[in-house]
Amino acid sequence: MNLAVNAEGLTKQFGAIRALDKLSFKINPGEIFGLIGPNGAGKTTTLRIICTLILPTSGSVSVFGLDPVSQASEVRKIISYLPEEAGAYPNLSGWEYLQFMSKFIQGDSKKAVAEAAEISGLGDRLKDRAKTYSKGMKRRLLVARALMAKPKLAVLDEPASGLDVLHAYHIRQIIKRYVKDQGVTVLLSSHNMLEVEYLCNRVALVNKGKIAVEGEPQELKKRYDSQNLEEVFAKVIGYA
Amino acid sequence: MLKGFRSIFVKELKELIRDPKILIGIIIIPLIMFPALGAVLGYAQQSAIEQAQEANLLVLNNDSGNWSQTLITYLKAANMSISILNNTSPQQAIDQGLLAQYNSTQIIEIPVGFTENMTQYIQGNPQIKSTVNIFGEFSVGGIFSSIGSASTSAIVYSFNRIVAPDALSTTTSSIIKGEIQTNIDPATLSQLLLSQSIILPITIMILLTYAMQIAATSVAMEKEEKTLETLLTVPVDRFAILMGKLSSSVIVSGVGALTYLIGYSYVLGAAFSGISTGVGSSIDLVALGLVPSPLGYTLLGISLFVTLLAGLALAVIMSAFAEDVRGATALVGYIYPLIFIPSLALIYLDVNTLPLAVKAVLFAIPFSQPVIASKAVVTGDYLTAVLGIIYVTAFTIIVMYIASRLFATEKILTAKLKLRRGRIGRRGVERPE
Repeated sequence: MNLAVNAEGLTKQFGAIRALDKLSFKINPGEIFGLIGPNGAGKTTTLRIICTLILPTSGSVSVFGLDPVSQASEVRKIISYLPEEAGAYPNLSGWEYLQFMSKFIQGDSKKAVAEAAEISGLGDRLKDRAKTYSKGMKRRLLVARALMAKPKLAVLDEPASGLDVLHAYHIRQIIKRYVKDQGVTVLLSSHNMLEVEYLCNRVALVNKGKIAVEGEPQELKKRYDSQNLEEVFAKVIGYA
Repeated sequence: MLKGFRSIFVKELKELIRDPKILIGIIIIPLIMFPALGAVLGYAQQSAIEQAQEANLLVLNNDSGNWSQTLITYLKAANMSISILNNTSPQQAIDQGLLAQYNSTQIIEIPVGFTENMTQYIQGNPQIKSTVNIFGEFSVGGIFSSIGSASTSAIVYSFNRIVAPDALSTTTSSIIKGEIQTNIDPATLSQLLLSQSIILPITIMILLTYAMQIAATSVAMEKEEKTLETLLTVPVDRFAILMGKLSSSVIVSGVGALTYLIGYSYVLGAAFSGISTGVGSSIDLVALGLVPSPLGYTLLGISLFVTLLAGLALAVIMSAFAEDVRGATALVGYIYPLIFIPSLALIYLDVNTLPLAVKAVLFAIPFSQPVIASKAVVTGDYLTAVLGIIYVTAFTIIVMYIASRLFATEKILTAKLKLRRGRIGRRGVERPE
């Protein structure tokens, strides 16, 4: 069986900065896999390489057996990416935004829009222009957009970034339910350890462009004799 | 004083002054652009005067008397280089190609009976006046292209005042495309055409700057609103994204151009209504063949369109290096001198009289081409217009190719134009997460 993601020795150099340093990990199909780590650890760079946005300096990665470098257009058909700082077109309504993005997905676009509308939970507000949305509403719209494509791999960068408790809760619920119902694989990045613990089957702790440790949340907590992943992380990088 | 005004004022000033894009846009570029324009205008005037001085005056002396010799002597004394032909009518001179042969654009015809009429006038018969006919070859040049005919008229006028007070009357006619148009002064005609042809370069300037702002904004807006990253990961051809942006910019700017044109022609109509009753009514440009033919208009339209595309593609590339809308509009501002200088210069300059190097530079700037074409199609010089279209099309294809390459790579996300210590350098560094 193909791995959903297989990254081997990924390295990315930005001028003098080495963002990724021989980073390797594997994701099985149907898993929710979390990359966790501090700002600047290389999480977003990893996701961007997998999503065909940037090229690795060396190393390789495959997405369901496809190479994001040489088979970028094929990879784009089976993935869906939610950037950390994503936005919606301010002068389009939420509804129009979903309709626009649905044109690029495989399958029934009308059905996808209807589903996305439901996932977002925005109701009648979908008729309003996106510029009138709060940050939480915008994020819900974007998560719905990312999931409506029913991708084989959903790549979510800080899915609940900057949201209040209720909005964050809503978004995590959406992800968890959707993965269960549709059987999609999710790769997410976060520095919110609570979120990761709640959502992920397996996590990898990234620090300075490398995987510091990898495993199931429960197993990691046991291994490092910690109450939560935050503590695990602090111990792994030698902070505690 | 308003509370807090000083603090906000100082903060704003610091932010604006420290933004190198703004500094360059509002201080350095005007400091280059206006002196450059001044130099162009100065050169245009100087070269027109020199040409007028160097030009040969063709004198068709059909009078064998003393007074014609006196006039010729006077012309020579005024430092005019003249060639004299006897017993030749102006139409014959034109038909036989004598203007080109004698390197001349001006003809003075001294008609039969000139001396006799002058003599009668001097002897106290004021009803009888002598006439000298001046013919100027009309060219669709610049603002100073009528200096030649104006100086010929001035010398004949001074002869009339000084040597033979008020004995002489003159007629002034234009030679347009090898035909004499009686009583149409080339200087007046030049001014009339200039006032009408000024609309096109100004429209081009407005249209291009407007369209480029829109195109640059469309990519920068995606970056600013953080929608570009998402768009680049969906299964859509990157070239389709580029073309979609260019096409919508063309439509919006086309509508913008149309409204500008309507508004501007209304302004011009109001501004020149006085002139058209005084001069325009007596000069029918259509009858003189001085408006473009349908083919000319078509070529002009194509020239404008491909230039617009070139500008838009260039703006999209520039905006890829900006992080937000403000940065994109500032970056596109760097191209404006390339639009303004040739457009304004070509209003005032006759491109054919320029030295080869200046001509090459002007022709190399794609934004010059519609202005060059607008003059060329009036004179039926379609080849110049077609060559310009081919050149701009080639330029556009190259720019679009670069733009599509840019869209196909990570450069669209990572390229940034940084201005540091006054040096412009391209850096491909983004903040890794």
